[in-house]
Amino acid sequence: MTTTTHTVTFTINGEKKTFATRPDEKLLTLLRREGYRGTKYGCGQGTCGACTVLLDGRATYACLLYAMQAEGRKVRTIESVGTFDKPGEFQKELVAAGAVQCGYCIPGMVMSATALMETEEVFEDEIVKEYMDGNLCRCTGYEKIWVALRKTLDKQASAKPAAKKTAKGAKK
Amino acid sequence: MKRHEKARNFKQVNTSVTKIDALQLALGKDSYVADFVPNDALIIKMLWSPHAHARIKKLDVSKAEKMPGVKAVLWYGNVPRIAHCTAGQGFPEPSPYDTFMFDKKVRFVGDRVAAVAAETEEQALAALEVIKVEYELLKPVFTLDEAMAPGAPVIHDEAEAHVPIPIPYEPKKNLVAHVACEAGSFEAGLKQADFKFDHTYETPYAQHCPIEPYTSLAQIAPSGRIHITTSTQVPFHCRRIVAKTLDVPVQKIRVVKPRIGGGFGCKQEILLDDVTAMFALRTGRACLWQFNREETFRTGRTRHPFRIRLQAGVKKDGTITAINMEAINNTGAYGGHGLTVVSCAGSKVLPLYHCENIKFDGKSYYTNLPVAGAYRGFGATQAFFAMESLMDQMAEAIGMDPMKFRQINHIREGEGSPIFAALGEGREGTPMTVGSNALAECIVQGAEAIKWQDRKDWRGKTGRYRRGMGMACLMQGSSIPDIDMGAASIKINDDGSFNLLVGATDLGTGSDTVLAQIAAEELETATDKMIVYSSDTDLTPFDVGAYASSTTYLSGEAVRKAAADAKRQILHTGAEMLGLPVEQVRCEDSAVISADDKHRVTYGDIAKYSLYQKNQYQIIGTASHITKKSPPPFAAHFAEIEVDTWTGFIKVLNYVSTIDCGTAVNPQLAEGQTEGGTLNGISYALTEEYLFDRDGKMQNASFADYHIYSMRDRPPLNIILVPSYEDTGPFGAKSVSEVSINGAAPVFANALYNATGARVREFPLTPERVLKAIKAAEKK
Amino acid sequence: MKLSEFIRPATLAEARKALRALGPKGMPLAGGTALHFMQGKTPVTAVDVTRLGLSYIRQKGNYFVIGAATPLSDIQRYRGPRWAMHEICRRISTHQIRNVSTIGGNIARVFPWADLPVVLLAMDARLVIYSGKEKEMTADEYFSAQPARLFRGGDLLTAVKIPVLKAHHGFGSVKVTRNAAAFSLATVAALLELKDGVIKAARVAAGSAIPFPQRLKPVEAALVGKEAVTAVFKEAAAAAGAAAKWVGGEGMSADYIRQLAEVSILDALERAAEFARGRAE
Repeated sequence: MTTTTHTVTFTINGEKKTFATRPDEKLLTLLRREGYRGTKYGCGQGTCGACTVLLDGRATYACLLYAMQAEGRKVRTIESVGTFDKPGEFQKELVAAGAVQCGYCIPGMVMSATALMETEEVFEDEIVKEYMDGNLCRCTGYEKIWVALRKTLDKQASAKPAAKKTAKGAKK
Repeated sequence: MKRHEKARNFKQVNTSVTKIDALQLALGKDSYVADFVPNDALIIKMLWSPHAHARIKKLDVSKAEKMPGVKAVLWYGNVPRIAHCTAGQGFPEPSPYDTFMFDKKVRFVGDRVAAVAAETEEQALAALEVIKVEYELLKPVFTLDEAMAPGAPVIHDEAEAHVPIPIPYEPKKNLVAHVACEAGSFEAGLKQADFKFDHTYETPYAQHCPIEPYTSLAQIAPSGRIHITTSTQVPFHCRRIVAKTLDVPVQKIRVVKPRIGGGFGCKQEILLDDVTAMFALRTGRACLWQFNREETFRTGRTRHPFRIRLQAGVKKDGTITAINMEAINNTGAYGGHGLTVVSCAGSKVLPLYHCENIKFDGKSYYTNLPVAGAYRGFGATQAFFAMESLMDQMAEAIGMDPMKFRQINHIREGEGSPIFAALGEGREGTPMTVGSNALAECIVQGAEAIKWQDRKDWRGKTGRYRRGMGMACLMQGSSIPDIDMGAASIKINDDGSFNLLVGATDLGTGSDTVLAQIAAEELETATDKMIVYSSDTDLTPFDVGAYASSTTYLSGEAVRKAAADAKRQILHTGAEMLGLPVEQVRCEDSAVISADDKHRVTYGDIAKYSLYQKNQYQIIGTASHITKKSPPPFAAHFAEIEVDTWTGFIKVLNYVSTIDCGTAVNPQLAEGQTEGGTLNGISYALTEEYLFDRDGKMQNASFADYHIYSMRDRPPLNIILVPSYEDTGPFGAKSVSEVSINGAAPVFANALYNATGARVREFPLTPERVLKAIKAAEKK
Repeated sequence: MKLSEFIRPATLAEARKALRALGPKGMPLAGGTALHFMQGKTPVTAVDVTRLGLSYIRQKGNYFVIGAATPLSDIQRYRGPRWAMHEICRRISTHQIRNVSTIGGNIARVFPWADLPVVLLAMDARLVIYSGKEKEMTADEYFSAQPARLFRGGDLLTAVKIPVLKAHHGFGSVKVTRNAAAFSLATVAALLELKDGVIKAARVAAGSAIPFPQRLKPVEAALVGKEAVTAVFKEAAAAAGAAAKWVGGEGMSADYIRQLAEVSILDALERAAEFARGRAE
């Protein structure tokens, strides 16, 4: 239960919504309260990545971001990525690779990978690692997550026509 | 037939079937405790002790009780005072009852003082601020030397502190446990040696760092019973300990473990549930308590720091004539796993190498530092650092390649060790000979992968960056013989699917999947026909829980036996339906088939027949299992590192982690366990550390300051599963989860020596520590 | 840091006006990631400065001009002639932080572990401050003390100007951490101006291992007029010990950190020389 004094309006998973909030409420708290519980609390310190969401296409820690900062922006959570009937490509590969152990970090990993796939054109290892360095996992040693990600990216790279602009993500 | 070839005809087992909850978790579906919290739940916050050692002279919560939104405050003045042990272990525990829900004394920075349940987190935090506490500061004890000193401050001076079984416990001396044994004669053995060694090793505090912090939710059901949904590895121990601590009957409590976000041992402890349950009882409301990350570091459980003195003698031919290990651990402010962890330092390490004269002395002491508990590796991690470091030194003294020295000395199939019989957990151990053992093959394959033949002596190496290779051999156990018990039941549904109910606790390892595979293999059906439900004290059979590397080996065999029981009934009914004697039918591919292959009834048909048509009954199998052995998984680890001799920084160029876990029930998941354990071992060896200020407060309680690895840090890892077949385990399986964490620290210490001639006997290998050792070696 | 109110001005003038009126009760907020480290218990009004058109990177004459609200990840991804800023930006914290943390937020308040002040000092960057009109100052002046003094009356940092390096310039930075996302144990940066293999000018700065980022003048002095070779770099790096007050960290002693910084300076100088050689050829 939260005493709310303000409202914030943003697009959440494609749907424009207005939420009651307070100036010092974090986006993570708001999202979980409003039913977007695939976004996890892991540290509240902006380090573990379990709360990763996309803000205007960029991976962001929802535990550090104030809900009010999302005003007018596009927020995407794990709920937008896949369903039992139609999981996302990376989700499929994660399952196939046996990369999901406790699974607590996985939604955040998926969101970071989504940003990577939608922003970059070329998926060199170093760039991939830079996109994924803010998501901690203690179970897997990252091996199978890496395998699943590499597979997903290689598939996407071979399927995608080359034209898209590389610096797309650099623009607001 | 070679042992592991027995595994050849498996259909479900030894197959990487998809982990059954993987997609649910990847989609982010409601799965963990915090996903099931009603919106009107009260939020619990704890006032933690800012002092390492103090008596509470005065505690006034009256103002807090009147704060907006506050529904209840708990402190020592309004809860039962019942001595108990927070560790989820076999009962009665081989550990002191030295903990109270709340006490008048605080024993470490982060000990409980008083708790508030309020409508919102902000209200709860605001209420904590107005609780008035007056402390009488007591002299704190921060080191083993301080704890052991005559006249040291007594950390547990309360009258109630006691052990429930007859084992040494002297709280007046801060001594939590003492265990000792000797096989042969160490003194006599040492006299036969050509070279003698006597070194002391220190190992550090560390934290498990599950990404899901400790979380517990308690609610009062319409029946008036307490329902606890909690992130635990030990739901049944949780029920028993909460019942004791609250002084309510076990019957009144239900504990459910949903999916949990990692444990690694830290959730083998009842750290929240007594408080959430008490608040639920007092308020009638749903009450949630989730540690934040800082609390998880400061007040959650940790790995025991050890000081290990290791003496040994070796002959020129490589015979180890004598070993004496004196291991002392710092268990922190409470003694939950003090004895068992120090016992395992001996029992999981000393049997690895042939030696007729072995002596072990293990002690555990209280200090006013964070509380140590169970952590993957459990004492073996610490002791292998000492043992495997010394193995390299012995090899060098006799001029033998350290790999060869290990190869000629390690335990083999069919061999026993006096240590198995001498060292148990709180009692004598169980005599045992080693069944499956593919360590020899692990060494061969690991050496090939790292290119051990290219390893060069450090004396020829020059330049700023120097490379070195190191190795270590490791073992662990599988379950605690004669103590642990797991049980399962399995019943058929109309369509030939099965409900598999297990007490065993999947903490993210995939044990639900592994157990389903075992059931399906025994039942001659497919794994996806299993609906697994685990860890609910109302609905599933008992299991001690997920610890001691026991789930696959112990709970797995219970599942296999339960499935065999169900299969017997299926055969009986199938034969009845086919009008054949039961000897003339068999199970295959989810059907009962006549011996001449001409007639068959499917499991679905059999289920419908048995449930609806004739001689109706429920086909349901049930079984329990205890073990008589704790077969060790074996591992050989190798690494190549590069040392910056100007700064002391170590870069891991390649790490090879081999493992013999018997039959890998699910190879992909077994690899996953090995990969995760290995990487955790690597960061434990290099970057993880508890830094304390002079008042005993941890200084780096965040992921920004306590360095675990990210994908960007991960070095190349090469995991090799080496098959063997353990006759006493389900379909040849033994454990896999713990052993891999034990390797990195000794492997890197040995590799550092091989690179530079610098020997470290303390880790983490901080750059400063490494640089100092290099400079010391250069002076020689 | 507690927020009691949250406002989103549409223009720089409005933002300044609001901050001016709020005084100590107001706080400009960009990415907001640093607020996690600020302990103040008195609630403040956040003034969102991410909607003022201050997120851009452009080359203008002899400078790259970076808007103060430009996220680090944009700087990391930007490429321009003899551009060197991406190297440090890719080493700061994690992807998610780099996406929201801005260059202005990184230097408006200097945290001891910050890397950008060190790089900007070495680069001889210029800082643009809005006080109704824009004024510029050197990095030396800006980082001479905690910059809060410059923002009284609602004044705001609006841009950072990085000189476009010339062919004979070499730049190198070294950030030493225990793992990829960790705070720096030591962070150093060096800019060398070379002529015929001789060092004409040098700017060397350090941070994290010292209480406040600063230039290491004795190191610079030991470089100027000498050849850009390892022996010279070594000798110059050795002058670092006396050039600043080195402090321990992460359980390691001040003496070790000083040694680490000296090696890092040497490495940064080697990188700078290599940079100059690489670009000149």
